[in-house]
Amino acid sequence: MKPNSLDYEQQLKQLKKENRILTKKLQRSQERQIQLEETNQKKESLLKRVILDLEESRDVAEQRTIKLSEALAQLKTTQEQLIESEKMAALGNLVAGVAHEINTPVGNSVTAASTLAEETTSFTTSVMAGQLKRSTLNNYLDLATEASEIILSNLQRAGELIQSFKQVAVDRTSLERRTFGLKSYLSEILVTLEPQLKKTPHQVSVTGDETIHINSYPGAFAQIVTNLITNSIAHGYPTNQSGVIQLDIRHESQQIVIQYQDDGCGIESQYLNNIFEPFFTTNRDGGGSGLGMHIVYNLVTQKLKGTIKVTSQVNLGTIFTIVLPLSDF
Amino acid sequence: MFKVVVGHSNDPDSVEAVAEVLEQCLESLAEITPQAGILFAAVDFEHSLILQEIYAQFPDLELIGGTTDGEISSVLDFQQDSLTLMLFCSDEIEFCAGVGTQASQDSLAAAQAAIKQATSKSKQKISLISLCITLPDGLTSSGVTIIKALKQELGSNLPIVGGLTADGGKYHKTYQFYNQEVLSDSIPIMLFSGDLLISCGVNSGWNPIGKKSTITKAEKNIIYEIDHQPALDFYQHYLGDLSPSIEYPLAVFEPDNKHFYMRAPISHDATQGSITFFGDLLQGAMVQMTEGNCDGILNSAELSMQEALNDYPGTHPDAALFFSCTARRQILSSRAEEEYKFAKKHFNAALPSCGFYTYGEIAPLESHGSTLFHNETFITLLLGTK
Ligand SMILES: Nc1ncnc2c1ncn2[C@@H]1O[C@H](COP(=O)(O)OP(=O)(O)O)[C@@H](O)[C@H]1O
Ligand SMILES: [Mg+2]
Repeated sequence: MKPNSLDYEQQLKQLKKENRILTKKLQRSQERQIQLEETNQKKESLLKRVILDLEESRDVAEQRTIKLSEALAQLKTTQEQLIESEKMAALGNLVAGVAHEINTPVGNSVTAASTLAEETTSFTTSVMAGQLKRSTLNNYLDLATEASEIILSNLQRAGELIQSFKQVAVDRTSLERRTFGLKSYLSEILVTLEPQLKKTPHQVSVTGDETIHINSYPGAFAQIVTNLITNSIAHGYPTNQSGVIQLDIRHESQQIVIQYQDDGCGIESQYLNNIFEPFFTTNRDGGGSGLGMHIVYNLVTQKLKGTIKVTSQVNLGTIFTIVLPLSDF
Repeated sequence: MFKVVVGHSNDPDSVEAVAEVLEQCLESLAEITPQAGILFAAVDFEHSLILQEIYAQFPDLELIGGTTDGEISSVLDFQQDSLTLMLFCSDEIEFCAGVGTQASQDSLAAAQAAIKQATSKSKQKISLISLCITLPDGLTSSGVTIIKALKQELGSNLPIVGGLTADGGKYHKTYQFYNQEVLSDSIPIMLFSGDLLISCGVNSGWNPIGKKSTITKAEKNIIYEIDHQPALDFYQHYLGDLSPSIEYPLAVFEPDNKHFYMRAPISHDATQGSITFFGDLLQGAMVQMTEGNCDGILNSAELSMQEALNDYPGTHPDAALFFSCTARRQILSSRAEEEYKFAKKHFNAALPSCGFYTYGEIAPLESHGSTLFHNETFITLLLGTK
């Protein structure tokens, strides 16, 4: 054998081997192609599905958020309704107070009027019988004058009461805007609170600049002051000591400052931040709703566009400072 | 002395292939006679013939092996339809092979038989066994059951490493080799005794995707229901009409709900809606669909190698064995050869190494922890002596 024929054999062997490998590889690559296609199809299907599922769960989450915010809105409405009914309850109290308060002058008038009627009957009888004495006539005239004066002044008092109650009551519900003298209006509010105050030994007074007239919502003031005073009575004097409650108004550059102050037990510092929160009360067992201060806060900040601050010292008392911008009036 | 050599041929012709492999081995052996061998062969070869040739050359060899879905070696890197043989020579390590058959009928008996056969040849004490390599048939019985049986005999502290034999993605019949025998439904093992240094790396690169669900009905390695619906519905929700397959394993969560292992499907029953997996599953376990992609897979091969190198107790290993999941090869497709390149980044290219693509991997999570069954992983086993 020549050397190159050995080479040739070797080469042929090598080529044959490569041919076998290539044939096998071709066969494999076809199989692999099919496999790969399937793998890719599966991958595509999987990813599509996962994306769809994610979208779906996002929708569900969105749905949930919608439901949640609906529930929240519902809650808010309920809360507003509660606040509203608290206002109404306050009004109810007011009406009861009104009835009670008017009872006295009307009762006085009735007593005076019936005495007058009785005296008039016996006077008439005397006149008819022709037994009228000078002294009898004088007595009757004295009594009649006194009775008419009593009746007149009592009816006047009742009239005044009705007037101011009406004012406050109407203002409370309608919250209409008008121009009024602040100090005299605050005094009127105190009159309407007389029935509650009378049961207590406390003294309430309004001091300050009586020339301040504002164009605002008197009803808001009525509710604010009513709540502040009710709270002082309810929470400020647990041991029934007599208190001094003061309302002072003053004019300060572009602002009106109303300072409300009691000398009661004060509010513990841990609660100071909470008292304006709806439903915060330290008197739940005693039937507190925890809405009073919240209503005050809303009226001051929203209706009157002002601010309210509370400072308090235990056993010394509580001060609420309401600052209202003048530009608004 | 611990010497390891490797031969690898991609000639589809059985006679030519084995001749080439032996030629390479003999050259590297340089007159030393090997005591043991591990053979990985594509399923299309004539395996008996190949084993005959090997035994004609090395009559006293202790050999195990099996069919594959792709082969790896330091000689030819990644190949399909190839034959690769790793031979071990040592005067300090003893190698004893054994096999148990009819594993599907009684895995425990098969495991016991394999171990008995191997240990009966040993001159060493059983306590000196330092490693068990196994290449069982995963199509006939569940990987988890086989491992449980082996652990029961060998104790749970002995590292058991290996892979389930494969058949080129046909899922029809796989073969195992024990000495010159070609078997199916068997558990071949090779026990290493003596002062062997080993370390393992296990990494997958698959990630859970989609919604977490609960296995509501399962028995051994069959899931009947997930979230009270047929298991097949769960898969079809994601894969559409396409069948569950090994590249889409379930992530099975540990009770901590964070760590998970994977269970890959082998087959399904369309009428029952049940799916059979390579490993057992527990009713009540949380599962999630998973997804593997090329980058994650390649990266995990590198991580597996690094983990093994970090854990290696000696200065440098003498050999590496790899067991990589067939699903990885399938997803990598034309990039399959890159996997070995990624693993190889961190060691000397001359390190004799050999491996195959499996239907399930077997290894402890920590080098000396208890052995677990895996799917979708790349397992690195480093071997050496002091
Ligand atoms: N003048 C005050 N003195 C002491 N405590 C007060 C005073 N005003 C309010 N508080 C405290 O603020 C809380 C909230 O008041 P408010 O909102 O009106 O609810 P309520 O009166 O229903 O308890 C009261 O429960 C009380 O603890
Ligand atoms: Mg109150």
